[in-house]
Amino acid sequence: MTTTLAPATRETTATTKAAPRTAARTRRTAVAWLFLAPFTLLFLLYTAIPAVAALGFSLTDLRGADLRTPLAVNFTGLDNYLRLFQDDSFLRDIGNTALFVAAGVPLTMGVGFTLALALDSGIQRLRGALRTVFFAPVVTNVVAAALIWQYAFHPDGTVNQALAAVGLAGPNWLDDPDLAMPVVVLLGVWRNFGTAMVLFLAGLQAIPRDVYEAAALDGAGRWRQLRYITLPLLLPTTLMVSVLLTVFYLQVFDEPYLLTDGGPLGSTESVALYTYHQFGAGQFGMSSAASFVMLVLVAVVSVVQFRLLRSRT
Amino acid sequence: MPELSRRDALRMTAGMAVLGTLGLTGCGRENATTAAKASARPVDDSPATGTVSVWAAQGDANVLDKVIKPFRAANPDATVTFTLIPNAEYYTKLQSAIAAGKGPDLAQFFPESQAQFLDPSTLRPVPEGLVAPDDFFTSLWDAGVVGGVAYTVPWYAYTYALVYRSDLARKAGVEAPTTWGATVPFLKALQGAGATRGLGADIGWDVFNGQDVAMYAWQAGGSLVSSAGRWTLNTPAMVDALEYNASFFTSKAADTGGPAFLDAQPYFVSGKTAAMITGPWVIGQLDTAAGKSGWTASHVATAPLPAGASGRVSFAAGGSWGVPADSGNADAAWKLVRYLTRPSSQVAQYRAYSSLPAVASAWNDPAIKGQPLLDAYFTQLKSTRAFPRVGTWQQVATRLGKEMEAVAKGRQSAAKAAANIQAYAESVGTGTK
Repeated sequence: MTTTLAPATRETTATTKAAPRTAARTRRTAVAWLFLAPFTLLFLLYTAIPAVAALGFSLTDLRGADLRTPLAVNFTGLDNYLRLFQDDSFLRDIGNTALFVAAGVPLTMGVGFTLALALDSGIQRLRGALRTVFFAPVVTNVVAAALIWQYAFHPDGTVNQALAAVGLAGPNWLDDPDLAMPVVVLLGVWRNFGTAMVLFLAGLQAIPRDVYEAAALDGAGRWRQLRYITLPLLLPTTLMVSVLLTVFYLQVFDEPYLLTDGGPLGSTESVALYTYHQFGAGQFGMSSAASFVMLVLVAVVSVVQFRLLRSRT
Repeated sequence: MPELSRRDALRMTAGMAVLGTLGLTGCGRENATTAAKASARPVDDSPATGTVSVWAAQGDANVLDKVIKPFRAANPDATVTFTLIPNAEYYTKLQSAIAAGKGPDLAQFFPESQAQFLDPSTLRPVPEGLVAPDDFFTSLWDAGVVGGVAYTVPWYAYTYALVYRSDLARKAGVEAPTTWGATVPFLKALQGAGATRGLGADIGWDVFNGQDVAMYAWQAGGSLVSSAGRWTLNTPAMVDALEYNASFFTSKAADTGGPAFLDAQPYFVSGKTAAMITGPWVIGQLDTAAGKSGWTASHVATAPLPAGASGRVSFAAGGSWGVPADSGNADAAWKLVRYLTRPSSQVAQYRAYSSLPAVASAWNDPAIKGQPLLDAYFTQLKSTRAFPRVGTWQQVATRLGKEMEAVAKGRQSAAKAAANIQAYAESVGTGTK
């Protein structure tokens, strides 16, 4: 009797205790969904559904003129993707985008890290003011920034005036295919080094001071402290900044669009700008295919970098 | 909520994409050529009634409210409402509204870029007898005609002509060129008379440059689309056109580095450039750029474009009117169009905004005839052509503009550029599937 009753009693007790716990959990879940609902709705409306629709469009010959009769397009399979990879402009733009990443990421990180280091160690009293000054480009309207840069690199602009002052003839920066890309990259660096600096500064300030004091007592100089303490302990921040910047430069659009519109001779056209130009030309199918290729590219690079991040930290 | 595995998520995504695609393709494309050519009811002379909503691009339409005052007085039972939209966004908004069936009763178009709208599913055919096609510059009227059906009525007109510094030409002792061969020597002579560059060339390398080269190809005897409706861009005439355009830069008569769009007039006034191939609006703006009233009259002259092997043909551009197929008050909309194309209304529009008449007889009005700098434009307007009335012309012209850049900068031969643009045009087709 005892042996048969005991489990039943335990079961009954468990059931009565579980009921309010389950109700509480359900309530918490409902509240969580309630808070998540606005984001989820916006995400579905403006990100997920358009992304899926773009995948669908990329498999059709949808064009601008079809907006009047959107149900009357032809399914073309992977035709747009094949055309994309046969288009010299697109292949060139993949190269340009790689160049944006290869030049922009290390430069932005280098400038950001150097300034963060200077602010963290040297210029204590002016740290707040300088942090604001260096962060200003991040919050500057990109259109205004591009106009300033356009003026600065105009044939009669301030850069060439400065060169003329020391007896040098300045080139037409934005009309030269070899010079336009560095100018556009520099605008990207100027707009982003502040973000990198702030993140690096936060990382630097999180490193315990006593580690440096112990190292100094053991005779480690500034360079050895940087090499064996700062850089290793800053690795998670470094990897995070590199992921953020890589994703940014892979999708770079504002800078080349506003400064050169991809010219001269397509030398600064990024994949994102190619997508935009195709869309503007009414080639919605091609544009969607290009945007999907970019999505895959960004996803692959991000996954690789995140894996790297996880294995190193 | 069950947790989705990665495979489930992938399946769901693929499924939605396929469903989306099938949804789009399910009905198939209705062959445009089978669309009925609806014949519009003739428009009588009775006063217009009801509300006419008008959409137009900001610019020449800004003064319409003032210009149509007599129309309002003569049609007291009609209400005309205007929606003016920034130029750059105009077609996008109009196209979306028409696609949604929420377009206006009357819409402005641009003859040089309206081909995508010329379809019975979008616009109503112009009623027989509403206006006399012969009253307009031929190419402007033609720009609205597809398959023998007119969908738009011209409103104002412009084309390109040569605008140059007459003071420098006098100093150099040269006359405006009448042929391609004489053009670069003329521009170099202006340089010799003190200008930094003979020509302030358009260096946007965009759709407008594409239009320029299309114009040169016509001057060289080429056509852009064959009578069978196929692109004909890889032709000797196109090669000649690209080389002619490049000759401005290779001869150093023009600079690939500028002036950029906003610099064009200050550069011209200051003598950094001595000529422009441009529209008539520039004339009214040079006094302002110079900061001196009367500067234009004493420093500027105009001439029709130099002729190529096949003449001095240019392109027809400006504004036009069309009534969307969904218009709820087409009758009143057409009556307003008829009013706007009367010679007296055309002159009123010129007085209010300097919009040049699309109706040839209105050019005889003293207000216009007394402007000697407009003579070259009037002469040129009589020798214009409409751009191809195919839906992808704007795309092709934009690509043409980009190909021109490589030729002008010596990075690509004209023959290769012509081959490229032909290949591109064939890949995008003519907008019909």
